[in-house]
Amino acid sequence: MHDLARRLLGLDRRWIFLVIAFGTVLPLLYPLGLPIRVSPEVRKIYDYIERLPPGGVLVLSFDFEPAGKPELFPMAVALLHHAFQNNLKIVGVTLWPAGTGLAESILSQVAQEHGKVRGIDYTFLGYAPGEANAVISMGQDLSAAFPADHYGTKITDLPILQGIRSLRDVHYVISLSVGFPGIDTWYVYGKEKYGFELGGGCTAVSAPRFYPLLNTGQINGLIGGLRGAAEYEVLLAREGKAIAGMDAQSTTHFLIIVLLALCNFFSVFTRQTGRTRYR
Amino acid sequence: MNTETLIGAWVATGLSLFVYSFLYKDNPYFKLGEHIFVGVSLGYILTITYHEVIVKKLYVPLVEQGQWWLIIPALLGLLLLTRFLPPIAWLSRIAFAFILGVSSGVAIPRQLSSFILQQVQGTIKPFVTAGDGGSVWVSPATLNTLLLLVGVVSVLVYFFFSVEHSGAVRQVARLGIYFLMVSFGAAFGYTVMARMSLLIDRFDELILYASPAYGYATLVLLGAVVAGLIWWERGQLRP
Repeated sequence: MHDLARRLLGLDRRWIFLVIAFGTVLPLLYPLGLPIRVSPEVRKIYDYIERLPPGGVLVLSFDFEPAGKPELFPMAVALLHHAFQNNLKIVGVTLWPAGTGLAESILSQVAQEHGKVRGIDYTFLGYAPGEANAVISMGQDLSAAFPADHYGTKITDLPILQGIRSLRDVHYVISLSVGFPGIDTWYVYGKEKYGFELGGGCTAVSAPRFYPLLNTGQINGLIGGLRGAAEYEVLLAREGKAIAGMDAQSTTHFLIIVLLALCNFFSVFTRQTGRTRYR
Repeated sequence: MNTETLIGAWVATGLSLFVYSFLYKDNPYFKLGEHIFVGVSLGYILTITYHEVIVKKLYVPLVEQGQWWLIIPALLGLLLLTRFLPPIAWLSRIAFAFILGVSSGVAIPRQLSSFILQQVQGTIKPFVTAGDGGSVWVSPATLNTLLLLVGVVSVLVYFFFSVEHSGAVRQVARLGIYFLMVSFGAAFGYTVMARMSLLIDRFDELILYASPAYGYATLVLLGAVVAGLIWWERGQLRP
């Protein structure tokens, strides 16, 4: 047993990669349909959007680049479906230069599915350089921050922005953030100063950082990682990429827990039997 | 399906497999994928930044709309580039001083308010809730409040080095370590979750591209990468 344990502890790590690969691929090919429980922080964002009046303006900040796409793309799609279903007007922006093309394509694609018209039901303002200064600028005067939208139309000519002069006039802001600038930028330089309600979506890596903000009510909800996106899809009753990935996520987590437990067991076991042999 | 999508799928699949080949060992395919990634990312960000900032935020308002005052930030920006010219590098300090001054002025009060004052306020919530008619009760949220308070205080004690950690202080600091361990564990768990999400997304697309609609891109390229690795390994073994 001691030798077996030692051999297993010295196992070539490529076998572990192979096990994880199978643990990921198999549930994607043959879904298990494991249940997904909706957490209160995700439900809060859903409920808040439900309560917004039709025609209300939602600013969706796509603060991510292609590296954050696996987690934040399903989130953005689910939020856009929800907002368009409720006839909200969407104003898209991004604080990340490399996110511009991705954000525009997500927004226009979902809008097209709902038959929404650009300039009336939604618009994409594009990349706002300056991080914190960009948010402050939008809070003071939207037309100064973005004289024209991403497509070159003057924003004073856009029907969607009639009556919206700054962030003070919008109903809700959601930042889908992969890092800085992101949720904290919108909170620190936006919500605190201009008083709009703020929700957040982020990658799982950065989720623990935002729980203190959630706890104090500085943000009113948080969608964390692919899991959060899947919960939102459950609330919408619309199966997307996030729900499809949840079985694989659960399986890989289970495998990692098993591997961790085995490694710890064998590690303690070899240390103890080694000591006994020495005595 | 249009040709662009098909080419995109084959390129994406090939590059993903090149990068995953690192799991076997460092090899020329991985290096090729890595270098393409770095080059394309940098080129893309440069292009986007040029178009979105230099053209849209500077050239168009300055030249086409006559907003001449934009010359001032443009000049400050140009001063930063003098770092590359040693005789006049000192000029960049003007721009740096401006950036530092404005950033500090904007950030310090806002950060203090958001991340210190409001967080302190959130930590010291009342334990009891007063109801109608002066009734007072302890809500289930009290447990959370208590846990939060004990966690914050014990971790702060752990990082308080002016007093020797012995006796009661040692016990409280030890409790702080446990709270820190739990938070590190939670952060690690979330990190694992994030990394697995990236893997799932890639595998999801590789499975999609393995379909006949994409010309079995994944299967063909997987075979090619494996064959390439075998060929490379044989080349390595030759004297």
